[in-house]
Amino acid sequence: MPIKERFAQVWLVTMLVTYLVYFTAVVTVGEVTPLTQIGMFAATVVAQVIVIGTASAVMAIRHKDGPKSDERDQLIDQRATRIAYQLLLCAMIVVGCLMPFNNSGWKIFHAAVFSIALAEIVRHGLIVSMYRRGWDG
Amino acid sequence: MAKKRLRNNLRLMRFLKNEMTQAELGERIGVTRQTIAAIEAGKYSPTLETAFRIAEVFEHPLEEIFQWDIEVQSKTN
Repeated sequence: MPIKERFAQVWLVTMLVTYLVYFTAVVTVGEVTPLTQIGMFAATVVAQVIVIGTASAVMAIRHKDGPKSDERDQLIDQRATRIAYQLLLCAMIVVGCLMPFNNSGWKIFHAAVFSIALAEIVRHGLIVSMYRRGWDG
Repeated sequence: MAKKRLRNNLRLMRFLKNEMTQAELGERIGVTRQTIAAIEAGKYSPTLETAFRIAEVFEHPLEEIFQWDIEVQSKTN
């Protein structure tokens, strides 16, 4: 399995788990103080950094002498990034241009975080899918 | 419009070249073993540059290694 595919899998699972926990907490806990909101978000980001940082370090050591990324890795990454960017752009138009008319504060914040998380999940999901199912250009 | 697909006989070429491994071929043309495996399986179409490098390694014309096949007639005029 290419190291890029493995890395995308780690990203995908980490993003799915951490943001599932985060948004479940946001929905179930309800109204909390701003400090608690920030604390919840910070805990999510720290968990991601620890898992992805550790996985990156382990993979870098294991594949120290292995082959670097090639044209296929780059093309897959470009295609996934382009699709995720379009998704993020649409979501940000809703969050930044439409939501301020009807919502405020933490709702907009959560919607923005959700958009970014969704775009990243789609990006890494596409990378994994293109490695698995193939992509003929 | 006819749907076409790039086919190849990389596996045969490697066999004829003293059972060259995918890793060896990948190393010679500057791609990973996984990319060679994906090309062989028809899961990835290489760039023109990589295709020419593969042809150079096997010392065969490009069209002997890669074929542009008609697969499905999806729409007729």
